[in-house]
Amino acid sequence: MGMEEKIIGACPQDCPDTCSMIITKSDGIVTGVRGNPDHPFTRGRLCAKVNNYQDRVNSTDRILYPLRRTGLKGTAAFERIGWDEALDEIASRWKAIIGTHGAKAILPYSYLGTQGILNGLTVGDAFFNKLGATISERTFCDSGACTAYTMTIGHSAGVDPESFVHSRYILLWACNTLTTNSHHWPFIEEARKRGAKVVVIDPYRSRTARQADLHVPIRPGTDGALALGIIHILFRDGLVDTDYVAQHTVGADELAERAQDYPPERVAAITGLSVDLIAELAHGLSESQPSVIRIGVAIERQSGGGQAVRAIACIPALVGSWRRPGGGLLQLPLWAFPVNWGTFLRPDFIEPEPRVLNQWKLGAALTGEMALDPPIQSLMVYNANPMVMSPEQARIAEGLLREDLFTVVSEQFMTDTARYADIVLPATTQVEQEDIMFSWGHMYLSYNNRAIDPIGEAVPNTELFRRLAKTMGFEDPSFYRSDAEQIADAMLWDAPQMQGITLERLKREGYARLNLPSADEYAPHANGHFATPSGKCEFYSSMAADGNFVLGLFRQGYDGQQSGEPIDPLPHYIPPQESAESNPDLAARYPLNLITPKSHAFLSSTYGNLPHQRRQAGDQSVTLHPDDAARFGIAASDRVKIWNDRGAFEAVAQISPDIRQGVIVAPVGYWPSLNGGQATVHAITSSRYADLGKAPTFSDNLVAVERC
Amino acid sequence: MAYVVTDNCVDCRFTKCVEVCPVQCFHVDERMVYIDPDGCIDCAGCVPECPVGAIDDEYNLPDDKRAWIEINRDRAAVLPRLTGGMEPLPGAQQRKAELGL
Repeated sequence: MGMEEKIIGACPQDCPDTCSMIITKSDGIVTGVRGNPDHPFTRGRLCAKVNNYQDRVNSTDRILYPLRRTGLKGTAAFERIGWDEALDEIASRWKAIIGTHGAKAILPYSYLGTQGILNGLTVGDAFFNKLGATISERTFCDSGACTAYTMTIGHSAGVDPESFVHSRYILLWACNTLTTNSHHWPFIEEARKRGAKVVVIDPYRSRTARQADLHVPIRPGTDGALALGIIHILFRDGLVDTDYVAQHTVGADELAERAQDYPPERVAAITGLSVDLIAELAHGLSESQPSVIRIGVAIERQSGGGQAVRAIACIPALVGSWRRPGGGLLQLPLWAFPVNWGTFLRPDFIEPEPRVLNQWKLGAALTGEMALDPPIQSLMVYNANPMVMSPEQARIAEGLLREDLFTVVSEQFMTDTARYADIVLPATTQVEQEDIMFSWGHMYLSYNNRAIDPIGEAVPNTELFRRLAKTMGFEDPSFYRSDAEQIADAMLWDAPQMQGITLERLKREGYARLNLPSADEYAPHANGHFATPSGKCEFYSSMAADGNFVLGLFRQGYDGQQSGEPIDPLPHYIPPQESAESNPDLAARYPLNLITPKSHAFLSSTYGNLPHQRRQAGDQSVTLHPDDAARFGIAASDRVKIWNDRGAFEAVAQISPDIRQGVIVAPVGYWPSLNGGQATVHAITSSRYADLGKAPTFSDNLVAVERC
Repeated sequence: MAYVVTDNCVDCRFTKCVEVCPVQCFHVDERMVYIDPDGCIDCAGCVPECPVGAIDDEYNLPDDKRAWIEINRDRAAVLPRLTGGMEPLPGAQQRKAELGL
């Protein structure tokens, strides 16, 4: 046995925590991983997904060589081929498609299967912009919240998550911290030791809600009404910080008038909460200063999700909590990182009249339901697994079966999407690649040192797109930058946040806190300075005049052809499309509201195939309230069918009083091929957009359930 | 599924694990500590802290240690929660040496 060696890496997953990891290797083999105990935020801990990352790296199921389809689509029948052969076939098929239909017939499909700045969100954007392919509008996560947040307070980093130790009232809104943001918890716990109250708003009693001082079991999709009800009480009971509002906000009078429409009695009827509880939240947020709200991604996944975030984002300014460290709103600290996005996006390559396609519409686009001209003739999937994580699962499968669709998938494993590919390309895991990482849950820039050489013929996404650029004959030298050159280009190193941070130090230590005031001092909006058009917190949004939009970062850098639907400049409540109140006819057939939280053991669909995580997660489950179980004759461990007009999937029933009556909970991330019914949660979700930023509406589903 | 304290903890009880647990899911009796499996969030922070290698992921336990899964669940349910570290038991260092650690 050779010498054991330790390398500092960083977790690649799309999670706010971006843990600093210590990789152990011996004889060129990764033998273990652990959290880096020196990291001030992640503190030596990892999580159920990543604790055994070495098993992912070393799995015998890895795709290590290019593959070409030899059998029917969807059957995962492949033969090994060489990289040159694979690239030649891709080039000849794409050139033929471009000749016949134009480059818009090619669609990239990707998100954050790996989150590094080099290999993640934008890795293929310059390539596809140059190719002239259809622009992929990626509104998987926080796009609606980002639009709403930008309209209200600008692209602010918000409260430093470490400042929570100073908070006196912590409201975790639609956020299961202990499963999806668990390294934040010690800071919340420390605040509690210092006397803070912790409140969780969630339709079910999540593991985080069980730890809280107060759980607010809201009816799904009604968060906007609750926020407006809180605002109503703030004005009614004189709980507004009038000095702060006068100096640093726009539209308080209009907001006060709007909030008149949301008296607590009405809000109680909408949300299923008591009038007293709504008042308690308003008083807590105002009187226990500094108060802080942490919103989770789930908040946007409802028809009125954007306006819910608009209303919530008004509250910290109304109560003046921005005045002190630990007060305000935490959404995406991502905005603190001076990433040089332009060097990866290259919007200057985009032709004058591109086509934009939102990724939620994949099924409709592939099956021809959208009547696209030209139709999508080729799909390239990387950093994504739409068969598991995109809505209308059956329709996507139908589209992927098209014989005339040329599908290329770059992957680490034979995912349920890769099974349909014509060409599969082998992708590296994080230990086989070099990257620099932002975070959307803390203020530390991270560095991932490559621990081992790529296994087999796997390549990082950066190398994949270098090879594709060469194959397609691109001449611009930017396509051929090495990883080291891209890392040098990745950050705006001269930005004030980067002062004192050198690449050498990052590589050596693995992380560096951005050059911001300490968490004990950081109060970014104590004196206003909001990055909105007015420089103030805009209760009345001036950006609403231009209509609905998606941030350019989520659309390959392209800001044109925004959908522009009219937006009410004041926050308001938009009810769910599918609820007993809004659609009684539908509810008569489909009486239960399904919500689809993230699994504790999976990161979206990642790890959904690995033995360790599958054993922990068990089979696809659905949890019902005891009264609903009795009503539909379902016992614990029964196999049940869940369905609506869009589709059906099967799950194992669990029964718990932790769920609101009328709501059922089925975690997302299970692979259809590994789930008996050949379908999972996204078989029944819709591709409808939320009101802002084209967020999905995965909490807005009525379904029926019965024993199989 | 959760992390599990096994027999190496008996009569050692170093409690370094307790100091790093972010959710305070350790419970204690006079001889060892136990993890509440419903409270454990699988962060694995405690594993490298234990000087006698007593803690492991339930998934990794060999057959002769699997009984500890239920023991942890049952004992954690009835014992007090430990919120900070304690002095190791008097014979802890000797027991650690006996374990060859």
